[in-house]
Amino acid sequence: MGLLRYTIYRLIQAIPVLIGISVITFVLANLAPGDPVRLMLQGQQADEELIRTIEQRYGLDQPLHVRYWNYMTGLVQGDLGYSIHRDRPVADLMLERTGPTLLLVLSAYLFAILTAIPLGVIAAKRRNEPTDHISRIVALIGVSTPSFWIGIMLIIVFAVKLGVLPSAGLVYPWQPPEAAGHGSYLEHWSETIRHLILPMIALGTLQMATLMRVERTQMIESLQEEYVKLARAYGVPERTILRKHAFRSAQLPIITIIGLNLSTALGGAVLVETVFAINGIGRLFIEAIQQLDYQLIMGITMVLGFMFVIGVVITDISYAYIDPRVTYGERD
Amino acid sequence: MSSEPLLRVENLKTQFFTESGTVRAVDGISFEVNEGEIVGLVGESGAGKSVASMSLMRLVEEPGEIVGGEVTYKGETIFGLEEGPDGELRERDDMLSESEMRERIRGREIAVIFQDPMESLNPVFTVGGQLREFIEINRDLPKDEAKVEAVRMLREVGIPDPEDRYEEYPHQFSGGMRQRVLIAMALACEPNLIIADEPTTALDVTVEGQILDLVDDLQDRYDTSFIWVTHDMGVVAEICDRVNVMYLGEIVEQAPVDELFYETKHPYTDALLDSMPRPDRTVDELDPIEGVMPEAISPPSGCRFHPRCPDAREVCTRVHPDTLEVDRADGHPHRAACVKHDVFDVGYDESAPLEAGDEAETDVGGAATDPEEDPETPVEEEQASTDGGERPEGSRSSSDHRSDVGEASEASRKPENEPGGGESRQ
Repeated sequence: MGLLRYTIYRLIQAIPVLIGISVITFVLANLAPGDPVRLMLQGQQADEELIRTIEQRYGLDQPLHVRYWNYMTGLVQGDLGYSIHRDRPVADLMLERTGPTLLLVLSAYLFAILTAIPLGVIAAKRRNEPTDHISRIVALIGVSTPSFWIGIMLIIVFAVKLGVLPSAGLVYPWQPPEAAGHGSYLEHWSETIRHLILPMIALGTLQMATLMRVERTQMIESLQEEYVKLARAYGVPERTILRKHAFRSAQLPIITIIGLNLSTALGGAVLVETVFAINGIGRLFIEAIQQLDYQLIMGITMVLGFMFVIGVVITDISYAYIDPRVTYGERD
Repeated sequence: MSSEPLLRVENLKTQFFTESGTVRAVDGISFEVNEGEIVGLVGESGAGKSVASMSLMRLVEEPGEIVGGEVTYKGETIFGLEEGPDGELRERDDMLSESEMRERIRGREIAVIFQDPMESLNPVFTVGGQLREFIEINRDLPKDEAKVEAVRMLREVGIPDPEDRYEEYPHQFSGGMRQRVLIAMALACEPNLIIADEPTTALDVTVEGQILDLVDDLQDRYDTSFIWVTHDMGVVAEICDRVNVMYLGEIVEQAPVDELFYETKHPYTDALLDSMPRPDRTVDELDPIEGVMPEAISPPSGCRFHPRCPDAREVCTRVHPDTLEVDRADGHPHRAACVKHDVFDVGYDESAPLEAGDEAETDVGGAATDPEEDPETPVEEEQASTDGGERPEGSRSSSDHRSDVGEASEASRKPENEPGGGESRQ
């Protein structure tokens, strides 16, 4: 029971955050120079009459605060608005585009976690040995290299020179294989993975580098704890100490970093999607900004904000799961 | 006194190789633990007690290292060096390997009760789970039997509702309860020797009393030997059979507990006893030991206690006393490392006192001296000059004339007046 109540409580707490995001985005988007209606009618000759009609139809003739109010009342009722440029409801566009982005971000995280944690543990165990130095250099490069550059390099090496992996697009695992022209699910899903590998590495490298360093620091600290000495004094094998006694308490900061870095990962997805021609939210976002598609910009920002908030809530919940000293706000 | 002691430690040396120099944390200590005995290891903070006890299990951590001596447990060599064909010291063939230490000695034969109950339990695992794991490892019991045993041990050490408490986490336990858990861990593995590293220091007095009673009781029942590491002479008097007093990495006095208290042979032990609060004395009558213990990185020349010693004479600044037998009681030797005893024969009686007062004049082998509060000033000055004057050379010089009595008495014929005199002989 505690878990459910805690989750609801945290989600309610997130509402002011989301309102803040909406105000800032709404103001910024409307302050940007340019006129969406003229942009929509690009090139075509249009008289002032028509422009005013279009403005009226989408409520663009109203003052800013009225438009914000209208937008928010719609949002509360589940209406994300209507993209005037694409002539489709924003919600439909989001539904189409969220899947690929989530797939990309989650696989990038999976890649980062699965590589960073073992590497961090090994670096901590072999502290100041060659393994540690190599991992430090890798981490430094990973942190300081932009994801789009890594993406381009990966494409040049693996797609262009070696020709072993595809450089563009994704195969969606939730589609039926026939839709992508594949004979079986096995073929379909292996294509999914092949398409994912490069963008996943491009987006995941920064996360991996950060997590690896944090994991190393935490494990070094953890290995010096009294309870690790106690375990040694009672003949617990060094392997078990590394995997169990020192490991678990070292993971708390890792979880925090994962949750907080969700924002950089979503931001990185915008670039990586562009490099790898993935039709995710990121690309949609860039297009929306170029077209001054207010409703779409708002919709995407709100959805990304919501995803971030959910990520933080999940972080907090798993925190309480790993550390028994953290409770879900219960009093006993 | 049985023929072969359970644990024999001979001339054990553990050093820490730090950037500012070599710290001789344990510098040639020898003692024995017989079956069923509680042996005390007493001294101030920094005397090397904890390092010594960790050395016994070969658990000294970087940058520390055991560099010499021999530790024998039940005839097996826990640590021992020999000279290789190239003249370098190397580990002896019969020395237990790291995995043998882990599988046969640690926990199974020798267990430790750690000194910090707040930090020694893992916060993310249940108390019962941690206890059960150690039982599984060290008694080869399957999980379910180990759990039954763990609950039984928790009850044994006086934890109420052990079945419920088994599932709880360390943060739900008080300090005293956690200490009981640490004791339960040691006892549950059924070792023959338990090293208790200041297990009651972090506790308040009432809990300390309960824990001591508990250990006494359990020791009667299981006949486990203990090495009790403490700085508290009160605790020593209460539970120990024999006592080793440590000062700056060395054992300066070694005696059965009654002899130590009533026939004290070393001025440092005297000082420790005098600094102990007692109901029959007011705070003003307490005699705290003057000064602070010097660092083991540059110990004073000669006797390491001489800068703080009320009985110190000129000879004490030059001659480093080994721990020799000065008396015997009930078949147990009473050893002390103080040249004022006859057995040293280095000219203590003829040597000039280091202090202004006459009260330092003490009979050789005499009983407890009672220094007064006056002579503290010169003592402190000497200590300062010792520390400052020969820091880089200090550790080396004291090791060079760590010597047998013959060499020491030869050295004593050379007139040396400065406390740092050892340096000039090199």
